[in-house]
Amino acid sequence: MTRLELRELRKTYRTRGRPPVEAVRGIDLTLRSGELLGLLGPSGCGKSTTLRMIAGLEAVTGGDILVDGASVVRAPAQDRNMGVAFENYALYPPLTVAENLAFGLRARRRSARGDVSRKVAEIAERVGLREILDAHPSTLSSGQKQRVSLARALIREPDVLLLDEPLSHLDAAQRDTTRRELKRIQRDLGHTTILVTHDQEEALSLADRIAVMKDGVIQQLGTPYEIYDSPANVFVADFVGEPAINLLPGTATADAHARLSDSVRLALPTPVAEGRKLVLGIRPEDLRLSDDEGALPARVVAHEPLLESGIATLALDGVDRHLVALTDPDVRLAHDDRVRVVADRDLTQVFDAETGDSLR
Amino acid sequence: MTLRKRLLGWLADAALILYFVFALFPIAWMLILSLKPANQLFSTYFSFSPTLDGYRTVLGDSEGIPFVRFFVNSLVVSLGAVLLSLVVGLPAAYASARWRFKGSENLMFTLLSFRFAPELTVIIPLFVLYEKLGLFDTYVGMIWVLQLVTLPLIVWIMRSYFADLTPELEQAALLDGYSRKQAFFKVALPLVKPGIAAVSLLAFIFAWNNFVFPLILTSNEAQTVTVGALSFLGGDRPKYNLTAAAALVSVVPPLLLALLIQRYLVRGLSFGAVKS
Repeated sequence: MTRLELRELRKTYRTRGRPPVEAVRGIDLTLRSGELLGLLGPSGCGKSTTLRMIAGLEAVTGGDILVDGASVVRAPAQDRNMGVAFENYALYPPLTVAENLAFGLRARRRSARGDVSRKVAEIAERVGLREILDAHPSTLSSGQKQRVSLARALIREPDVLLLDEPLSHLDAAQRDTTRRELKRIQRDLGHTTILVTHDQEEALSLADRIAVMKDGVIQQLGTPYEIYDSPANVFVADFVGEPAINLLPGTATADAHARLSDSVRLALPTPVAEGRKLVLGIRPEDLRLSDDEGALPARVVAHEPLLESGIATLALDGVDRHLVALTDPDVRLAHDDRVRVVADRDLTQVFDAETGDSLR
Repeated sequence: MTLRKRLLGWLADAALILYFVFALFPIAWMLILSLKPANQLFSTYFSFSPTLDGYRTVLGDSEGIPFVRFFVNSLVVSLGAVLLSLVVGLPAAYASARWRFKGSENLMFTLLSFRFAPELTVIIPLFVLYEKLGLFDTYVGMIWVLQLVTLPLIVWIMRSYFADLTPELEQAALLDGYSRKQAFFKVALPLVKPGIAAVSLLAFIFAWNNFVFPLILTSNEAQTVTVGALSFLGGDRPKYNLTAAAALVSVVPPLLLALLIQRYLVRGLSFGAVKS
């Protein structure tokens, strides 16, 4: 359908008497037609600003936005044909759901009257709004409002669909169903889509590719598996993953190990120049309780027995850090229990301590 | 319900009734005064032979005082002032709520300062100016000067109404193909209708009740009821019954307006679709 390209996109906020704030510092992205790209990052990383620049709601400081090769960066929002589902839904309160959906079609005066009601019925069917077409937004649940908001964005057949934190106001049950719906609808209709979110679960489960942002810069662009399995730097490793990855400072040795302290060494997946300062990243699920040769002794600080797996907080002997490890559901641990733990060498992430970049 | 609670309830009721008597007594007194015949004006008895002569005289243009014209003047001037303030003030309120521009805060503060400077401080220079400009005792002059009363009110109150409105609503309208102007007129404005109703009524009452400006800046042609009602006190003998009748007649328009738009006043702002 549509290819979207961002070239060197920048946004700098200038307020008199204050230093300028660089919200977005040169973003390059190309979305294939029909792709769903997740823009993932903590609040203030510039992801929403990027989305608003694409929509035309925010003036661009520098760079270009191309839709199917044609620049739209100078066009006002009403001429861009972008569909946006806002975080707070932004439905017109005095209008019914059907009128909300028809609003955009009427505003553009592109469709004949019969055409409008046909399209409303069509999209309502697809998004599952048929029963609530005559309801006013104030009477709807958050999940329903989000679906109406999505339908309103879709009904105009936009070139690009922009979703701003679409699930963040929903409760857990609604989030799961709405997420599945979202994925199905996006796949059915095949819109090129950008999903802005701070929720890694949302990005990992919905997106074809994820761009992790921090401080207005894309840290890594890749499939959910690439992001998770080979994070490009410490930030990405730390931001993606629940419970968070264990980060341990250490020094490389000549025999492809890292020394965490005088008594504790961990094997590295790749050799690194001796003496280099490192940060090792080990995901909680890659730590295993074991009696193997070379397993590290540790003391149990806390154990949270959840249903599908437990979360153990361990104090490694000789290292001034706590480790978090996932345990099998049948494991019972008590405070101060002694255990031995082993890390999967091949899944250990290795980062340069200074730059934070991955050395793998 | 315990005895203690019931007792407290009675006490509260009694206090309220006492307050009502205190607050409404002057109005009741006016009503009685307005119905008294001229020869019983100075008796304090509650028994008298009620007559509508006072109202007849006031509305009948006798005594050489054109009260009906004052009444019409008040209507024209107050409505005119409110309408002009709405036309100028709504876009101003919207702009100041949505955008920070150079000097926007100073501008808003200047506007507010019109409200806390006593009118008397500017009335002499205004009088001189109005004489020179030919605005003295004209509708245009009165509507203009009443902007000092109505415009700050409308701009400041409507500004907060617009600020409460999430900008995403207008942005959604922009994406739906509306221009900025349409987004303002067709999305933002209809949503603040209850606010417009409430603030218009307030502004109307303030304009209607204004005394100093018509006292100094009008003499006859554009004089309003607040000043006009006092004319009955002049002459050899103050005609309190006529003043009272005039005052009560002049309460009618604000009262009617308030009843008419009560629906909007009560409703206030509720944006069910927006989660803050």
